[in-house]
Amino acid sequence: MDQATHRIQIENLSKAYGPVQVLKDINISVPEGRFVALIGPSGCGKSTLLRTIAGLEKITGGTLRIDGQIVNDMPPRKRDVAMVFQSYALYPHMNIEKNMSYSLRLKRSAPEAIRQSIAGVAETLGLGHLLERMPRQLSGGQRQRVAMGRAIVRNPKVFLFDEPLSNLDAALRVHMRAEIRKLHHRLHATSVYVTHDQIEAMTMADHVVVLRAGQVEQQGAPLALYEKPANKFVAGFIGSPAMNFIEGVVGPDAQCVLFGGAARQQVELGRALPPGQPVWIGLRPEHLRLQGEGQSVQGVVDSVESTGSMTFIALNVDGAPQPLLVAHPGTVTAAMGDVLKLYIAPQQIHVFDKTTELAL
Amino acid sequence: MKRYVLMVIALIVTAVYLFPLYWMYITVFKSAAEMFQFPPTFWPQQAESHLRQVFEERNMARFLWNSLLIACGTTGVTLLVGTGAAYALAQVQNRWTSAAIFAVLVLQALPSSLMVTPIFTAFKGLGLLETPRFAVVIAQITKTLPFYIVLCRASFVQVPRELRDAALVDGASPMRAFFGVILPLAVNGILVSAILVFLQSFGEYVYARSLILDDQYQTATVGLSAFVGATKTDWIGIMTYSAIFVTPILIAFMLLQRKIVAGLTAGALK
Repeated sequence: MDQATHRIQIENLSKAYGPVQVLKDINISVPEGRFVALIGPSGCGKSTLLRTIAGLEKITGGTLRIDGQIVNDMPPRKRDVAMVFQSYALYPHMNIEKNMSYSLRLKRSAPEAIRQSIAGVAETLGLGHLLERMPRQLSGGQRQRVAMGRAIVRNPKVFLFDEPLSNLDAALRVHMRAEIRKLHHRLHATSVYVTHDQIEAMTMADHVVVLRAGQVEQQGAPLALYEKPANKFVAGFIGSPAMNFIEGVVGPDAQCVLFGGAARQQVELGRALPPGQPVWIGLRPEHLRLQGEGQSVQGVVDSVESTGSMTFIALNVDGAPQPLLVAHPGTVTAAMGDVLKLYIAPQQIHVFDKTTELAL
Repeated sequence: MKRYVLMVIALIVTAVYLFPLYWMYITVFKSAAEMFQFPPTFWPQQAESHLRQVFEERNMARFLWNSLLIACGTTGVTLLVGTGAAYALAQVQNRWTSAAIFAVLVLQALPSSLMVTPIFTAFKGLGLLETPRFAVVIAQITKTLPFYIVLCRASFVQVPRELRDAALVDGASPMRAFFGVILPLAVNGILVSAILVFLQSFGEYVYARSLILDDQYQTATVGLSAFVGATKTDWIGIMTYSAIFVTPILIAFMLLQRKIVAGLTAGALK
């Protein structure tokens, strides 16, 4: 693809505070209209990356292009990007209308045009009756909408979201997630969305970038990351509940993995790996079945939690650092200490190298 | 029950604090004989006022004018220079700014009585003593500026950083972000600090006494000290003079009280 179709293009970007390298060799391309999620554990540099796109942090290496133009040293006000902050960052001394029109007023747009675009955006976000209020008089959800509205009014090249939903309660978060998604469908605005919540990333984004310790671990479509994680970290991070891991060794026939110490167990892989290689096998909780046929893993029930629609059973299996979690639809009768067999298809087993943790 | 006890204690403490003020005000209206009467009277028996007499005889209008000029000059320059410095020290936080803040605090700890001799010598060399009120303003700023920077920086630190970021992304230059977003949010703290600087300068004594040689430019505080003679002290004169000096400040304080309290608790409200 040529550069013109890319709204944001990040090449070999790095950022250091003195000797501390916080972003290393980042390469991300965001085509126009794409919704990209940056995700990773706290301290992975995802917010810093977003702030470098906004121009709030200087990059120390590589290039950053917006609409094909290198913006490495361009101040934020010239980049034409809008940002929604985690704390919303509404100006406390301005009413909602003034908050939303601030950037247009700085641009010296015509008052009539400002009034019209504010009215239009307020209408879509259901803020029409709040324009005269001050931010402190609004609820959390309303403030969140104002923060969104302030960005939308500007009609910017790029929307940047810095964990915008993390201060909302669970129900409102699900609601706003759908709203942002709908809004994106209508506006087709290029968006970069930072979150630590992988469900948010999976449900909202077209393209997910997983970061760890300032580096991109893997990027791609949400389901591609779920189905083909590049390494053990991504496998454990994407998916909820998280993937189960068991330590093992590839068997002498190259077709199976042995694990479990004295109570030796094995699973067939359906493909060949070098015999004797130490590996991690990864099993998703939702792929483990209590009934079935073919190969199985055996374990002792450690705990049972039922939510009505789902039952989560944790089993102790030799070789697994943490109890194996099974997500089973409906209710299951199992008691602590029961020995259960978990059935799994060979193609649903993930295998990672023990030392490099890369997918095999 | 506990509330009443606390209330009584609060009233007693307040009374103890306010008693000197009360004593000053009633003495203004006492005669010389009544003033030294024993046991003392707590309300003037035959009220007589010395206000006009003291004000005119002591040429208080000129003293107060000089004090006002010096206080305004000091406050103005402190605000102008200090606000920028405080903002800079609030924005950038590393070990150099920590060192700078420490240096500022050390400067503030030096008492004027220690500083006055070197300042006098230096100012004399520079010819600043030709414009004595200006000299006092400069000398006084060395004391008020560190004080102001430290106070003012605290109110800038309380303004969330994301608000500045939001303004910058919204298209404001750093200057616009400062005047349009940050300054309005820190204004209460700035106002309180400015009032404290003003009061400190209005009541300044050491520099005025030492740097102003011509009585024509002397301040009200120095004028007050003239009542204390070698053999006799005019107590009624002192009290009357003090009352005239203090009353405008008290009135200003009462008018601004709500703002001041709001400024001191600004962080809690956000």
